[in-house]
Amino acid sequence: MKNNIKTLTIITWVVLLSTISVLLNDMREFDFNQFKEFQNWASTAGKNESWFNSKNAIQWSYYVISAGLFFLSGYLIYGFSYFLSILKEVENENYFSDNTIEYFKKIGTIFIQYTISILVLRFLLAAINKSTFNFFNELKAEFTFLIPAGLAFYILADIFKRAKEAKEENDLTI
Amino acid sequence: MPIVVNLDVMLAKRKMKSKDLAEAIGITTANLSILKSGKAKAIRFSTLEAICKALDCQPNDLLEYVED
Repeated sequence: MKNNIKTLTIITWVVLLSTISVLLNDMREFDFNQFKEFQNWASTAGKNESWFNSKNAIQWSYYVISAGLFFLSGYLIYGFSYFLSILKEVENENYFSDNTIEYFKKIGTIFIQYTISILVLRFLLAAINKSTFNFFNELKAEFTFLIPAGLAFYILADIFKRAKEAKEENDLTI
Repeated sequence: MPIVVNLDVMLAKRKMKSKDLAEAIGITTANLSILKSGKAKAIRFSTLEAICKALDCQPNDLLEYVED
């Protein structure tokens, strides 16, 4: 059992570190030069000129949404890091502690929030680029599997809650 | 809980210490104190049997129903 936990911890660390490196690489590869033009405009434009002309608004929103996508990937990685906390609890033999239940709930919430936020951001991106957004096509993407996964974690949290009650009762049976 | 465990009364009658009883019936003193303090949610028949044997008494000497 202890060995299994150790292996799982190592695998989780590897997954975590690789996702962090993928995220950092994505950020490095992200072409920030595309905003150069906008920055140039910002430094040369007259003060009376409204910044909210359609072209700038599009660039700004694109920038904000891209930043949002990166932030959400970080948020998902933060969610993954709760697996380590759960493994730690299991290692300390606190299988049905309040913490474990809390972590499962948090992971579920993060997975669902991530998927919904990504869907919203993709919709906004499509709206800005004036491309078509097909909700059902988006739902076919791999990341939407995180919604059932998130729900599964909610169910697990509920099961663990019942298990904790049963364990308490068992502990108080002399 | 309306079920009261009168274990301490029986222990006093038999002039036995909790520690000795715990040793005689093979449970920890911590568990015995849970039983004495009334925090226990249930008692196994095997434990009840061991206590009755050790204290030479009947289950009704140990358990009592008192309406809340």
